Amino acid sequence: MRAVNYNPKLRLQLLLILLSISIIANIFGSYFTRFFIAEITILSIFAISLDFIASRGGMVSLGHAMFLGIGAYSTAILSINYGISPLSSTLSTFIIGAIIGLIIGYFIVFLDGIFFIMVTLALGEMFNAWVFTSDFLGGSDGISGIIRPDFSQIGIDMNNPLTFSFYVILWLLGIYFLLTKITDAPLGRNLDAIRQNSHRISAIGGYTKAYKAIAFSLSAGIASIAGSLYVQLNGFISPELTHWTVSGEGLIMIIVGGIGSISGAILGATVVHIIQHELSNIINWWMLVIGFGFIFIVLFMQDGLWGLLERIQKKLK
Amino acid sequence: MLLSLNNINKSFGAIKVLNNVNIISERKECIGIIGPNGAGKSTLFKVISGNLKQDTGDIFFNNTNITNFNTEKRARLGISQSFQKNSLFPEMTVKESLALALTHKYNVSFNIFNSLVNNKNINTDAINIAKDIGLSDYLETKSDNLAYGLQRQLELGIAIACNPTLLLLDEPTAGMSPLETKEIIKLIKKLSINYSIILVEHDMEVIYELAKRIYVLDRGSLIFEGDQKSVKNSELVQQKYLGI
Repeated sequence: MRAVNYNPKLRLQLLLILLSISIIANIFGSYFTRFFIAEITILSIFAISLDFIASRGGMVSLGHAMFLGIGAYSTAILSINYGISPLSSTLSTFIIGAIIGLIIGYFIVFLDGIFFIMVTLALGEMFNAWVFTSDFLGGSDGISGIIRPDFSQIGIDMNNPLTFSFYVILWLLGIYFLLTKITDAPLGRNLDAIRQNSHRISAIGGYTKAYKAIAFSLSAGIASIAGSLYVQLNGFISPELTHWTVSGEGLIMIIVGGIGSISGAILGATVVHIIQHELSNIINWWMLVIGFGFIFIVLFMQDGLWGLLERIQKKLK
Repeated sequence: MLLSLNNINKSFGAIKVLNNVNIISERKECIGIIGPNGAGKSTLFKVISGNLKQDTGDIFFNNTNITNFNTEKRARLGISQSFQKNSLFPEMTVKESLALALTHKYNVSFNIFNSLVNNKNINTDAINIAKDIGLSDYLETKSDNLAYGLQRQLELGIAIACNPTLLLLDEPTAGMSPLETKEIIKLIKKLSINYSIILVEHDMEVIYELAKRIYVLDRGSLIFEGDQKSVKNSELVQQKYLGI
């Protein structure tokens, strides 16, 4: 699988631009804008979890919405049934998601290409079917009444969309810096090399399976955080969140942004979600437009919007 | 003795590809394995590197029985290989490729906090290896953009960056021009001072130039073993391999 050029400088520049736009829009935007930014930020966290395993290890997952669901349902159960604070719930969901990801990853990371995609799809659909029929998880009605973190003691009202939006942006920044650190570290570079030539990594003594299992586990934990934040934003969770099409949309976001740059995944999530939202307000056949746009990018812009930015940057120099 | 292959047999269905092969490699010795097409050279190479499992027979490396070790484990013990067809990291530069291989030498491949670019020891080593293999001028060139001969050199560089004891070289001059072949022979000669080398080649001139001891394979069986002079003078080898 192809990934974009390794360019830490542009990665940081793009993040700063996106961050500035979101901060300005958050401060001067309406109630709805702030809610929308929080939604985009959570989708960005989900997208970079997918981007990380796709570009580091070459693992394309069509079942990652399962981890989004694990994060969302765990948060709902931990905070409603066990009275655990929402912040601790989010931290716990990372651990729960990462452990489940490590167990699943241990058994599937040796699979390549289509086999990996199909196994993750099957696992995701099994989880979706189970969630739909589970009384404990609320079945098709889902679970409602999930609260947001309470920072009122330090004078912060998390029910205000402005503060909650900044709260999820902070999560995104933390995850961004963790993943960029790993990407630039020996483990990340080995994972990148596995995507390019896993056979050679084995031949130089690399622990191919272990690297991939760690990456899958970390990605699962991050997707779970996205699920936890999503459920806190909306106050409820329904099984639709765990459907494979959610994973598919995540993959569209990273392809549009450019696979492998992290910041590109955030850009992709932002652009795709805005287009989806705006187009659906104007026309009924908006999915057709999104579909054609996606095909265009796959055929003519395989580096996605990241590639376009790189070309613009080169021309400006 | 560094490596010992004892009674190695390998079949693919009804076809016997390796038949009771016994090979010994001493420390810092360059040995050559030759044979016509279909003799079993590549299969033997894959058996030594762990890419293929033999049906019967044992392999000892540094007094350790590595018969059941996979490629990764053998590489970590010090068996490094370069491939007949280039097997590089196409999107990585020469320096990145070498640095990546060095993460295994320095046992830091699981590190998640320190940037590889800022690792001074690894970077210095990567630059030194690039110098040794003649790629100093291409440090920032992506391996996919290197000329074929330079890719072969990088192939060797990655193999030696893992700090091996034994280098397995599968047709290192395959597809090279005479000039490039000369360069790679010079390079392997230099490497043979510090490393044990097993060279699989079909080009007799390359083998005569580099190998101190030569094993001749024919239809999966070893038919001769000796130095280059005795190989040149062997009637059996002339008959079976050189077709004289």
